[in-house]
Amino acid sequence: MHIMAEIAIIFGICLLSEGIAALLPFVFPASVISMLILAALLLTGVVKTKHIQLLSGFFIANMGMFFIPSLVGTLEYAETLRAQFIPFLVITLLTTPVVYLVTAWTVQLLTRLLSRKGGSRHD
Amino acid sequence: MIDAMLSSPFFGLTLTAACWCFALRLQKRTGLLVCNPVLVAALLVIGVLTVFHIPLESYNAGGSMIKLMLGPATAVLALNIYQQRQILKSHFLPVLAGCLMGSITSIAVVLAFCWFFATEDVFTASMLPKSITTAIAVGISESGGGIQGITAASVVITGVEGAILSPLFARLFRVTDPVAEGVAIGACSHAIGTSKALEIGVLQGAMSSVSLCVCGILTSILVLFL
Repeated sequence: MHIMAEIAIIFGICLLSEGIAALLPFVFPASVISMLILAALLLTGVVKTKHIQLLSGFFIANMGMFFIPSLVGTLEYAETLRAQFIPFLVITLLTTPVVYLVTAWTVQLLTRLLSRKGGSRHD
Repeated sequence: MIDAMLSSPFFGLTLTAACWCFALRLQKRTGLLVCNPVLVAALLVIGVLTVFHIPLESYNAGGSMIKLMLGPATAVLALNIYQQRQILKSHFLPVLAGCLMGSITSIAVVLAFCWFFATEDVFTASMLPKSITTAIAVGISESGGGIQGITAASVVITGVEGAILSPLFARLFRVTDPVAEGVAIGACSHAIGTSKALEIGVLQGAMSSVSLCVCGILTSILVLFL
């Protein structure tokens, strides 16, 4: 598909999501709404993979680049970060193994439980 | 002339693209996960701005355009869900439960630490989405009144940590099920961890990329209840 058509589809979904986010009675990130809309459109077959192939390939391959401005923006808050440096590091580093442990064992136990119960796959 | 160039959006665009490409190449050359391209590129940009005394506003003229593209970059993550729909379907309940427990755990542990350190609300709001992918995390942080930069820094460091340590976590916590391993990597260290999960195995990689999307969605819903 023409790259400009792909841009129109994906940017259009983002635009629609910002409209929906403004309508919602609570604050919800428009980016998540656009992901849900695109997932729904793909699953219902309205949008096909080939309709968004070029642009999504570009975004996924260079995803990291789009975070750089946010990280550079930390400069403005260097004082806040310096003042909270210990909590920042402790929270960042120690939460990760706990999340890993809880998630892995939830999946592992539930999978065992389900396979023992039915012997077949539960959808 | 220099002033005209610095006030042009092309300055931020060029600097970001150049640092990103350099950082990508550095990672490829060294093969070190610590040389995470996002981290390296951001430090390079910060270095250039600091050394040449360039104000952040000059960078942001172009930087804000790149930041705008976080929206579409998040939207296309839907492809992860779509491409892995069969595998997601056959493990639906365990994956959903795992992601839900992981997301709740992440929020609860962050809140507990913030309470312990008696941090300010702005800081707490910035740290809450630290386990999910940057694109969604900065959105949640902004919605909750947090500082995007602090969120992004925590998210990227979390991802690098998860990518390096997840094989150790699997041994330490006796995780043998590849589905569980993949979901856990995606839940605790999002897209950066997923790159490692893909190296561990195809199934782990697939589950991890689904999990990072599901956890992102669940976390943005869960924080609404705080």
